[in-house]
Amino acid sequence: MNNLTHRVFSFRRLAAIVGNTLTGLTRLKIFYVLLLFALLLIGSSVFMAQMTFQQEFQVLKDIALGAMSIFTSLLAVIATARLLPQDVEDRTAYTVLAKPVSRFEYLTGKLLGVLLLLALSLTAMSALFLLVLMLREQSVLNETARQMRAAPAEQSAEALRLVRAAAFNVNLFAGIAVIYLKGCLLAALTLFISTFATSTIFTTIVMAFVYFIGHLQAIAREYWLQNHSAGWFTTTFLALVALLFPDLQLFNLTDDVVAGNAIPLTLLLKTIGLGLFYSSFYLALAWAVFFRKEL
Amino acid sequence: MVLTTAPKPAVSLSGVTKIFPVPFQRRSVVAVRDLNLEVAPGQIYGLLGPNGSGKSTTLKIILGLVTPTRGRSQIFGRTSDQVASRESVGFLPESPYFYKFLTGTETLRFYGKLCGLRGAALKNRIEEMLALVGLTKARDRRLGGYSKGMLQRIGLAQALIQEPALLVLDEPTAGVDPAGAREIRDLILELKTRGITVLLSSHLLGQVQEICDRVGILANGILVREGALGELLGVENQMQFVLENARPDLIEAIDDLAKKSGARVIERGRPQTSLEQLFLEATEAPDENAHE
Repeated sequence: MNNLTHRVFSFRRLAAIVGNTLTGLTRLKIFYVLLLFALLLIGSSVFMAQMTFQQEFQVLKDIALGAMSIFTSLLAVIATARLLPQDVEDRTAYTVLAKPVSRFEYLTGKLLGVLLLLALSLTAMSALFLLVLMLREQSVLNETARQMRAAPAEQSAEALRLVRAAAFNVNLFAGIAVIYLKGCLLAALTLFISTFATSTIFTTIVMAFVYFIGHLQAIAREYWLQNHSAGWFTTTFLALVALLFPDLQLFNLTDDVVAGNAIPLTLLLKTIGLGLFYSSFYLALAWAVFFRKEL
Repeated sequence: MVLTTAPKPAVSLSGVTKIFPVPFQRRSVVAVRDLNLEVAPGQIYGLLGPNGSGKSTTLKIILGLVTPTRGRSQIFGRTSDQVASRESVGFLPESPYFYKFLTGTETLRFYGKLCGLRGAALKNRIEEMLALVGLTKARDRRLGGYSKGMLQRIGLAQALIQEPALLVLDEPTAGVDPAGAREIRDLILELKTRGITVLLSSHLLGQVQEICDRVGILANGILVREGALGELLGVENQMQFVLENARPDLIEAIDDLAKKSGARVIERGRPQTSLEQLFLEATEAPDENAHE
């Protein structure tokens, strides 16, 4: 008979659920199909532009970051939507929750498993993107150096500096981090919806609506505030809408990154803070629903 | 003065009622009504009843998967809503699927980790459990390729992984062929010898009768009969003898004695083997793992 003393929260139990969730997701064929498709798109972006080097780097970054954003969001929703309904339908949730595992550990473990998957796939996509960018940069640098052979050394150095500045920018990493945060938020929101949804399809459809509302709500809000007075009712209503449907446009820093604009540190920190707040808030909501759910 | 305390019951339900509201309607369904039940440590307790009688809901209440509308459920003195109460419980749900993407070993490792096992202790326990349920050869196969009987056995292994004091089985032989059902039955009896309390639900009365010490019969969510099997099934004013190699004159003499004493012989005949026994003898496989 075991004499283990029970801990209210255990990182070992959490790690077991995280590992199991990640194993399950990485053994799904759909994950590899999506990842392969994203990698092909990023890889092929190198052939899509033959313009000036500034334009070429812009198009490359635009396509790659756009693909990373869409595939991370898609993966976050698809991977999370099936976790709870399938576990309940297959009765595997019974066997896990009949062990000394709290519902908070179970939910958090599931979510962290998805977030780990997103991190791994985004790392793979980023690595390919940076490799492609580096190869193109090297190619353009060689070409520029060849063309500037006869020019004075200072002029040649300036031309090479411009090429390097157009290719690599530290903001790229900030852009990738924000794409990941958006994926985290969508995964947490999908998990919350799946706690009361009856099927994977229902969750996915609701998330598709949330995704579009999330991207359009900033425009709708501005329009509303321009045409109506911002009384307490309007403010409360808009705050509620913003809470239920996150303003996903706030997580779209790609345009600035592509344009090579500097992203202020305060804006980056604010976006990270907002992403963490939304993700934690939806996880808390998911737990509140799941805590009393009759299985 | 020496105070002796009675051991806490493995399971205790007092006044448990569960009402499920019907969505979008004003009516509700009473799944279990005012249920009082105790399972003593070391017993094999059978919860019987037709489909929809409240057996699975009762088991889910005991495991904390469903919250009772009224009443209290306890496992070894701890209320079922405490996560810690499940330290000492193993559970096998009806027709479980488990994670198809895991192998037998990975499945047991996962459930073992959830119970706090690790390192050499976990590894040894996995070996022990695989051997106990006869799945050592199929340990590296994914569960997606397991037969129903094999799934049921890996389910039993995961339920037993942390050496629980209480094993809860919901229809443990549902969908399993007679040979598989017999193996599960023998395993349950073996667990009893190890001191493990078993609470099982079933509507296969023959099997329950063979292994249970005590039974409760549920009908429409109400416990209509409850007690030790012998007490419930024994006919108070009758006695049965089964004789081997009895000559006709002995049987005649017994008849005469019965008549003289005023007793009446109600039935006489050859005892028959069960259909299950006949099936098992006819289909017995020479290799113990032939059905894997």
